Amino acid sequence: MMKSSEVLSLKQVSKSFPATLRGGQPIHILQQVDLSLSDSTSVAITGRSGSGKSTLLQISAGLLSCDSGQVIFENRELSTLDDVRLSMLRCRRMGFIFQSSLLLDDFNALENVQIPAMIAGCSEKEAQKRALNLLQTVGLADRLYHTSDQLSGGERQRVAIARALVNEPAVIFADEPTGSLDERNAQLVEDLLLNLVAERKVALMLITHNNVFAARCDFVYHLHNRNLEVDA
Amino acid sequence: MKGSLLHLMVLRKLGYRGSRAAKKRILFNILLISLVVASLVFAQIFVVSMSRGIADKYALLGNGHLQIHEHTGLELGPIEGLLDTQLVAQSHALIYSPEANKMVRLKGVGPEYFNEMRLEQLSMGTPEAGQATNLPQILISTALAEELGVTVNDRVALMLVSQNSIRPQLCVIHNLYDSGYQELDANLVFCDYELVHRLFGGKEETYYELLVEQSRMQSIKGDLQMQGYSVTSWDEENYSVATNLNTSRQAVLGVMVVVAILCGYFISELSRELVEDDKHKIAMLTLLGARRVFIRKVYFSTVMLVTLVSILAGTMAGMLLASNLGPLLSYIADKSIPSLSYYLLDFSISIPASDILSIILVLLFVSMISVQWSLRRVKVIEPLSCTHFD
Repeated sequence: MMKSSEVLSLKQVSKSFPATLRGGQPIHILQQVDLSLSDSTSVAITGRSGSGKSTLLQISAGLLSCDSGQVIFENRELSTLDDVRLSMLRCRRMGFIFQSSLLLDDFNALENVQIPAMIAGCSEKEAQKRALNLLQTVGLADRLYHTSDQLSGGERQRVAIARALVNEPAVIFADEPTGSLDERNAQLVEDLLLNLVAERKVALMLITHNNVFAARCDFVYHLHNRNLEVDA
Repeated sequence: MKGSLLHLMVLRKLGYRGSRAAKKRILFNILLISLVVASLVFAQIFVVSMSRGIADKYALLGNGHLQIHEHTGLELGPIEGLLDTQLVAQSHALIYSPEANKMVRLKGVGPEYFNEMRLEQLSMGTPEAGQATNLPQILISTALAEELGVTVNDRVALMLVSQNSIRPQLCVIHNLYDSGYQELDANLVFCDYELVHRLFGGKEETYYELLVEQSRMQSIKGDLQMQGYSVTSWDEENYSVATNLNTSRQAVLGVMVVVAILCGYFISELSRELVEDDKHKIAMLTLLGARRVFIRKVYFSTVMLVTLVSILAGTMAGMLLASNLGPLLSYIADKSIPSLSYYLLDFSISIPASDILSIILVLLFVSMISVQWSLRRVKVIEPLSCTHFD
């Protein structure tokens, strides 16, 4: 039975991609992977490129289905949820940060952050208030009305962090959030992300190649041979 | 909340505070759809106005809106919608000039015949003073005068054909008229009622021409028939002309509707293009938790707003263009282009509201269906696909 503080639990999750995708044998990516993520904890997953880290994150967030096993998010098994419920869950209880910020380029920073809140059902005023507050927290109070192309890579990533937090999610899924940033900006984003998840008691699932960044998380796992190993 | 989000997204899709490319695309599509709608509206107004113009020529100069086939002594009580009643005598004759001859319809009318309504349908020169003569005077069209090679004050012969004899009658051309529609003008000759009566000695056809308000034509006809009169309407008297006009109008409307359907289909291309270009954004929105129904609503609202604005602009432009057609038609008419000689180039513009409404509704309906159909591709955009660009 899931502990009360656990928000995400993966049990015996396996995933392979059909042979037709790359020819030859089916590609087994994950095999009977177990993982648990509790409130206010951060978990880093490392591993070499192509080892299945992103696949693991996508399965954990319900973006990809697994071949076998269970993904339980806040006592709900994701495979039993329909598209509408999954959308609602993603909107209200999950936050996403990717290597590139994936901002909506028609909208400015403030709107990019307020849109998920409006999707979740907030009034425009309330969404704007939350977005403003978060953008101030990430140090972008003077960049509210700048669009994606008017922001630097680091600033875009900070907007993405604010956007991920706007609906006060239970878990933030971050896939290489500093992968495309220079050292100084990467450090800034790392600090900001880790501080905010700690402050707001949000769980973090971080995929990274950066061992230093990973080491700052509460738990570090290494994905090797289709399974997770606790990193020494 | 969802309403304000929809509003925000649609505004941005329409290019409000959006990229220059988005604005350009929307403006280009508005221009293109407006152009098609303007052409459709203009063409429909033109064809319907011309048809009505031709019908008016036939009704006002040819046979009247209604004819009561009574010889003389008709006494009608007050009838609402009845504008004018004239006793007319008509027959056929061959008209001869030194250069040519032609079979014409000789129409004998009284001095009150050319009232304001009829004069509006034709242009007439001021009669020139010629040699004093006792010869009967006739009024022929400029088209017929050209064909016969004659002009005002020239003499022509009318060959009156009866069962037993053929006899000529010399006449003088008093004036020339031009209704603008050669098909009618080419064989219609006016003269005095008494002259026809005298020349044909009672063998001519005599009837009453009634001008009535168009909207009351059928009811007046019915009332008169109830009173025992033999009544026909102008379209029964000119059956082939009326049928041709009606068929042409229906055919043109059909073509316009087909073009509207094609235009409606084209509008779905805009939504297809928008979705194709925004695949990444749509994936992002679904990743953020937006429901596909909502995303479809954003694109549907955007495209339908573009369509509505274009239809409005196109309809206004078409109507404006058609309303200012008069000077252009007069210019073309003045040029006397031979290939246009059998087209009516002088008619007043009337807006066929029901036809235009039909075209617009078809366009709207088809575009709604086709846009919904094209937006089904939103369904297949997976949230994960936004990370493929990562």
